Amino acid sequence: MIILTPKRSFTVPVGGECISPDTFAAKSTSEMANLPVWEGNKKRALGHLFRIELKTAPSESLTIRIRGDAGRIRRIGAKMSSGRIVIEGNAGMHLGEEMNGGAITVVGNAGSWAGSRMKKGTIEIKGDAGHYIGAAYRGSNKGMNGGAITIYGNAGNEVGCFMRKGLIKIHGDVGQFTGIHMKNGTIYIGGDSEVRAGAQMLGGKIVVLGRIPSILPTFTIDDIKSRVKIDGEKVEGPFYRFLGDLAENGNGKLFISQKQNTHLTPCERFL
Amino acid sequence: MTVISHITCPVCGDFCDDIEVTVEDNVITDVKNACAVGAARFLNYATHRRTKPLIRKDGELVEASLDEAIRKSAEILADATYPLLFGWSSTSCEATRVGLELAEEVGGVIDNTSTICHGPSILGIQDIGISSCTLGQLRHRADLIFYWGSNPWDAHPRHIERYTMFTEGRFQRSTWRKYVSRLGGTVTEKRLQRTANLLLDHHPPTPIETGQGLPYTMFQKKRKMVVADVRKTRTAEAADYFLQVEPNRDYELLQAFRMLIRDGELDVEEVAGVPVELLEEVADVMIGCELGVFFFGLGLTMSEGRHRNIDAALSLVRDLNQYTKFLIMPMRGHFNVTGANVVFTWQTGYPFAVDLSQGFPRYNPGETSTIDILRRRESDAALVIGSDPLAHFPKKTAQNLIKNPLIAIDPELTPTTLMADVVIPPAYVGIEAEGTAYRMDHVPLPLKKIVDPPETCLSDEEILRRILNEVRRIRRKLN
Repeated sequence: MIILTPKRSFTVPVGGECISPDTFAAKSTSEMANLPVWEGNKKRALGHLFRIELKTAPSESLTIRIRGDAGRIRRIGAKMSSGRIVIEGNAGMHLGEEMNGGAITVVGNAGSWAGSRMKKGTIEIKGDAGHYIGAAYRGSNKGMNGGAITIYGNAGNEVGCFMRKGLIKIHGDVGQFTGIHMKNGTIYIGGDSEVRAGAQMLGGKIVVLGRIPSILPTFTIDDIKSRVKIDGEKVEGPFYRFLGDLAENGNGKLFISQKQNTHLTPCERFL
Repeated sequence: MTVISHITCPVCGDFCDDIEVTVEDNVITDVKNACAVGAARFLNYATHRRTKPLIRKDGELVEASLDEAIRKSAEILADATYPLLFGWSSTSCEATRVGLELAEEVGGVIDNTSTICHGPSILGIQDIGISSCTLGQLRHRADLIFYWGSNPWDAHPRHIERYTMFTEGRFQRSTWRKYVSRLGGTVTEKRLQRTANLLLDHHPPTPIETGQGLPYTMFQKKRKMVVADVRKTRTAEAADYFLQVEPNRDYELLQAFRMLIRDGELDVEEVAGVPVELLEEVADVMIGCELGVFFFGLGLTMSEGRHRNIDAALSLVRDLNQYTKFLIMPMRGHFNVTGANVVFTWQTGYPFAVDLSQGFPRYNPGETSTIDILRRRESDAALVIGSDPLAHFPKKTAQNLIKNPLIAIDPELTPTTLMADVVIPPAYVGIEAEGTAYRMDHVPLPLKKIVDPPETCLSDEEILRRILNEVRRIRRKLN
């Protein structure tokens, strides 16, 4: 296990791309300390910003543990393919960007774009997360393409934007435009959702257990289902099933809790 | 006395190029063809200007020489770890080009005012693409003008006159006569209503014009205008039809239009406060036009949904092009905000919010945009040019902006210059200095020099060039 402890708090953004089991593998502590890190416009060595302790010999599935606040450190675990990262505080933006395997656990909160464009692996966030979880890069239409993200707190807007595959589970509330432009995959929301869930979706599944203020006019009610399956696990309903987004000729499915959304009862007349 | 014609107006995104000014003894005494805002700019630009640079010493702004102010600015930027360079929409493309060089040299984040106006439009365009054109084409051919969340009557006063409803196009006639006759009727109606209210001491609420069907003018084979907005603006009063949208429900309405134009059926009776039957009629008019244009303003980019509203609007126009010809254009605010986007893109590949801290451009609004950087308090110095963020930014970001050294290049006394550590007043571009700017439809036009600037005022480009040279000198010394 490698333990990284920040030597001081950071004000300007720090590029943490090198904090990845793939980069640390087969490196000595001094080699790790010499890895380049950008702090704003200053190029520093990792050892200049962090105290590095090596508890065991590095191996393919090594664990990196960050002790302290990493809220300003961006792209931790970017492109990692194996091993494990545990952050004992907050994590900055782009956590696990383009991740291809392994696992990341954040004990605190995570910034926006966590798991953006990830392909494999798991991300677990015990606190809240920002916007664009599992999303695409600006201007790209290729979001998350596999793996699983679990958030125990709340998340912001555009969760799963341009998502293609994989699972995002949020136990708290989410903002607007959940699953916008999504093509496939599953988004589960344990809490409430703001409006416009599933906007412009082409496929995939969004499940909302809590309340949603309204459904987009471009969705049509299709059925009432007693339960829904998420990653092999059955979640008891009943759920309204809406299909859309019809403005995009989409075939996405929106499962909305019937009990929590009595204001949607008038939709039942179209069944 | 000299009369100079074909002047471009350095005020709004319309960037009118037919202004005529009279100059006597290096003073502008008369302006022709300009709107009230443009005329006020030419006639009063120098009323409250500063001509001497200022530097903050012991908490007070004191006059300093230009060399001293430039040296101090260069020191601030050279020392910074994450400097922010903001503004750029009210200066020339030439100055912006030097600004980008400076941002690269100091390893900073450079951002223009799009970040708080049409940045969402750019994000939408990057996701969906845009079918657009120049204003000249619209002037001659467009028979359906759609303004959404935009009030050109007040914000771009000559837009309707020069490019849309009141202009005599080659294939489309002006509708100003129709407007004047209708205006007479409206004024009379309002007066009668007011008199009745006064006599009866009765103030009935203004009825919302929905559910009444479209007026007959919407079905004529003539140029027509539709305005969609949350309130009835002056532009809406001049329109053939006004679509009153519930605040923050634009996205739903745009998506509903997308469904309707492809003969889809909606499972609801109204969308955003507008009955579906009425939306169907408007959708028919959109499909039936020969060439439609969709202008949108901050009412769409800055209401809930932001870039996703634009995403829906662009998709709507794309869908409409399966049936007819339809174009879309953002109503840009500052006279050279389009130019700032163009120069940023040509130099770095990205139109705004460009982070050059690692020596190469990175772009991710939300991460590298001014408001977000300031909200998170990440920057440690700032240079602001031709903008007044302290008057317009959210309170917390404005507070964070002044916690670190601030350089302002601005001739006016604004909240930003008053709180800055270094103030350098430049010559007014387009009046005292020449350059290039881009009209809202991406047409580049020259900014002319009409009068001489005060001796102590250099152009923005020259000031930035001097700061850049000084930064390079400091860097060489350190290395």
